[in-house]
Amino acid sequence: MGSSARKKKEKRKDFKKPKLKVGKTKAKADNFTDTSFKAKSIVVNQQSLTTAAPSSSSQFAHYLSLASSSKSDTQRRDALSYLTTQLSSQPVNDPLPLPTAILLPKLLPLILDGSASVRTQLLKFLRLLPPADVGDRAEQALLYTRAGMTHLAAEIRVDALAVLEWLLEVAKEDIVTCPGGWVKTLKSFMSMMGWAVTSGSSKWTSASKASFGKAGKSFPRQMLVLSQFLKAGLVESEAEASVTANAGLYPLVDVERHMIPTRSNAFAHLNLFGSSRDEEGEMYIDREDRQMVFQKRFQAPVEVGMENARKEAGEAGRAAVVLKKVLVDGMADYNG
Amino acid sequence: MVKKRVGALEKVDADLSYTEDFLNQYGQYQSQRDIFLASPSTATSSGIISFRDLIDFVAHVADCFPEDTANFPEDLKTILTLHHAQLESELREKIVGSLVLLRRKEIIDSSNLLNTLFPILVATPSKTLRTLLFQKILSDLRTSNSKTINHRLNRTIQTALFNLLTSDRSSQKGIWAVKITRELWKRQIWTDAKVVEIMKEASLADNEKVIGGGVRFFLGGDKEREELEDESSDDEGAIDIGKLKHQVGINKKSKKTKKHMEEAIKKVKKTEKKKQQPHPLNFSALHLLHDPQGFAETLFSKHLQNGKSKLNLEQKLLVLQLVSRLVGLHKLTVISLYSYFIKYLTPRQPSVTSFLACLAMATHNLVPPDALEPLVQKIANEFVSEASASEVASAGLNGIREICVRQPLAMNDTLLQDLVMYRKSKDKGVMMAAKGLLSLYREVGADLLKKRDRGKTATMGIKSGSIKERRFGEEEVGGIEGLELLEQWKSDERKRKRVERGLPEIAGSDEEDEDSEAEEQAGWDNWDAESDASNDSGGWINVESDAEIEISDSDDDKPSAKKAKLDQAAKPETEKEKENGDAVLEQKISKLATTKLLTPADLAKLQELRLEASVNKTMGKKSQSQHLKELAARHTDDPLTADQIEGFSKLRKSTKEEMIALAKEGKGDRNEHKSTQAIRKSKKEAEGKSTTNKEKARKKNFLMTLGKAKFKQKRSLTQTKRVLQGHIERAKRGGKRGNIGM
Repeated sequence: MGSSARKKKEKRKDFKKPKLKVGKTKAKADNFTDTSFKAKSIVVNQQSLTTAAPSSSSQFAHYLSLASSSKSDTQRRDALSYLTTQLSSQPVNDPLPLPTAILLPKLLPLILDGSASVRTQLLKFLRLLPPADVGDRAEQALLYTRAGMTHLAAEIRVDALAVLEWLLEVAKEDIVTCPGGWVKTLKSFMSMMGWAVTSGSSKWTSASKASFGKAGKSFPRQMLVLSQFLKAGLVESEAEASVTANAGLYPLVDVERHMIPTRSNAFAHLNLFGSSRDEEGEMYIDREDRQMVFQKRFQAPVEVGMENARKEAGEAGRAAVVLKKVLVDGMADYNG
Repeated sequence: MVKKRVGALEKVDADLSYTEDFLNQYGQYQSQRDIFLASPSTATSSGIISFRDLIDFVAHVADCFPEDTANFPEDLKTILTLHHAQLESELREKIVGSLVLLRRKEIIDSSNLLNTLFPILVATPSKTLRTLLFQKILSDLRTSNSKTINHRLNRTIQTALFNLLTSDRSSQKGIWAVKITRELWKRQIWTDAKVVEIMKEASLADNEKVIGGGVRFFLGGDKEREELEDESSDDEGAIDIGKLKHQVGINKKSKKTKKHMEEAIKKVKKTEKKKQQPHPLNFSALHLLHDPQGFAETLFSKHLQNGKSKLNLEQKLLVLQLVSRLVGLHKLTVISLYSYFIKYLTPRQPSVTSFLACLAMATHNLVPPDALEPLVQKIANEFVSEASASEVASAGLNGIREICVRQPLAMNDTLLQDLVMYRKSKDKGVMMAAKGLLSLYREVGADLLKKRDRGKTATMGIKSGSIKERRFGEEEVGGIEGLELLEQWKSDERKRKRVERGLPEIAGSDEEDEDSEAEEQAGWDNWDAESDASNDSGGWINVESDAEIEISDSDDDKPSAKKAKLDQAAKPETEKEKENGDAVLEQKISKLATTKLLTPADLAKLQELRLEASVNKTMGKKSQSQHLKELAARHTDDPLTADQIEGFSKLRKSTKEEMIALAKEGKGDRNEHKSTQAIRKSKKEAEGKSTTNKEKARKKNFLMTLGKAKFKQKRSLTQTKRVLQGHIERAKRGGKRGNIGM
């Protein structure tokens, strides 16, 4: 009670107008917060302050890492197109800014990239790589290609086929002989085209109901790539054929088989140091081996599928005819 | 599984229309797996559908495509075993989860799963993975043991754990074996001797953590298990409680009896539970030990006697506790243990009360008095003197008493007479401790005491020769607990029946035989037909309604007049009964248990009588010797703790910092130099609290209080009465708040 006068005064204080005086700074508001701070140095993120411009090779490396690990689609695509222009614009006999051994492992995962523009750009880039370097890394490239071929998105499957086509162009011998290259790739084809067979005994002979297989227009293309692949694996290459043709060094027979092998890592198929491989992951060096495995596991479903496609006629029919020709050529001299 | 879901799965199984879709997915999984295996550290699952999701999907439908996914579990296992250190955490967790899922779908079996997970648990550096794996392993072991005990699985896992411990004794990995075993022991999934063997190996390891885990298991594992069980089951012995409550309803009601009843019930329940604890299926870990003597000896020599052992004091104390519990419980002979104690028995030794407790636990009636005498002497010299602090003295006296309860022969008469003098001490703790020692020796060795200290019963006993000196190694003649009660009851029954039939109460010998035979027959019959029929015939349990609870210091030198009266009233009956009982006890024991087979009905009755007797005992007067026996038996059930040795007074109340903090509390900031009241008030205001009613009343305007003051004259008679009564009431209670503290 005794303090009521004081309290009244306090209450009244809120409604008094503050007097402003000349030459004095205005009083700070009640809710004023001081945001000034002191610091010895200020660091600004995301700004490089070097005086010298980055060298072209370091820029190349930078774009490579951008292409392989950036989160944004456009950035990846732009980085890839930069790399492509760099490669295409440099003189023919210059070495690559970075070796293929570094480039390929970084860029191959982009086969499975979600964005279509990135994948097409990737294909353009891959075609610029020197063919000789690709052969040694065929196994790794095939890993991603197969993953692309069995991918759930149809576009990625189509683009993976294009990659496979490129691989068949540059290193067809390596593709079919590398570990897992023959059987696993064929299996991927089977599942892609809907010709797959379960390993279990199927009780049902129904036609494929899968929502995955014959994706309209891409089906003939798939068959064409398959026929290319089979041709690489089953049909005797001309180089080999020519060797056998001019083997006129009588009395010596099969000279080239007894000479030092020309391919790298000639005893890789013995798999002396790696973990043991199963039938699928095995290397099939010889044409006969490949024929045998093909005949055992794939010939029947391929023929069935081919016949069905032939009956469809049209583009698919024509592709089936091509496939059939390759098949006949490849398996002609096989006597299982 | 829910019925609907099962139906849906069956449909999927029958209609294989999804096969090709599945195969596509599976193919995708395989190619992703290959990519992953080619470079596990760099492969990122950044595609549209990650590797993780594919694994998840395949794991969920694997049971529908058993042939296609035959390799799937193996794949997961190899990925996990080879690359668990490099895998990103989410993928890793998904793989573990998928493996467990496969186990639940019974695609792989339990031992397969555990054999995969366990090595990773031991090896992995990641903490999150360890916790996940630990949890999964435990839950899998629990589920596979839930319906029936999976002996084979348990055996393999136990062997794995055992090997983990024994293969490398100095590694820290053994801690996982300890953890798993302890958890399963707690949940009563593993209860056999093999587990104890594992823990034994753990306590004999070289790593401190493993040792600690193993020793702690023996010291606390059973209690943990008990507590868990208590939580799960609380309704035991409901029938008996109902009966007893009914009894209370019939007898004269008073608050006191009611309270006593409740307490007694609680106690009986507890003791019953405790008695049932070493259940044939649930032996405590200490009882399941194979070769406790060897175990105690190696523990002692390896961790305590060995100068090279790296254990710190706390860990050493733990080991010492275990050794002394083993010695006390199994009555082992480890003579060098007692000389080990000597150097720790000084008041300056940290946690000396624990050492005293350990020494007491390690004492039993088969320890040679020669080994203990120097220890007792040392405790007396170091702790108990006029110069030492009262806490120290009481701890020493308590320690000596606990030793002497277990082995009374460790004391000589001069020392005892000396120590007993401390009962005149001004400090309560010391006084109580000395009195405890005195009352102990009145029971077990009155001849060591001075004549005037012996007390009435002891003096009379010595004179009449009924109290004899106990020799070393002498054992008491045992019997079946409560058997004399059963016999008493039987003869009573017989008498009652004879009276009903109109015959004289005391029968001839041949008649008696007939009677007993018929009864025996009835007992077996009862058992066959309805086992609880005997309860009906048993009638009421008699509970002494007006027995007094014993007051602890009844053998004081100058008992108060009131108490004396009370004693006189209570004594004659009990005394007489006791003597009667003693006289006929021995022959009765031999008679009943050796001449007849006890029928199941008899056993049930025996149990009932025992219960009744224990209720009476807790409510009525307890003889000193029984009390002592309980004391001596205590260490078999519960370990003696340092608190019990410390008694009333803690050795060190608190550290200096704590005391300063306590003094400063509530005084606020001293810088202001205000009064404490003002500081408190401002603090209250700052917390947003209002003033008290008292303060408000004090501040109230004088004029406003006038009205109330006038009202006092206008009160009606009843109002006045109420006010006056309230005043008297308050005065009785000792003020508004009552005399709580006094």
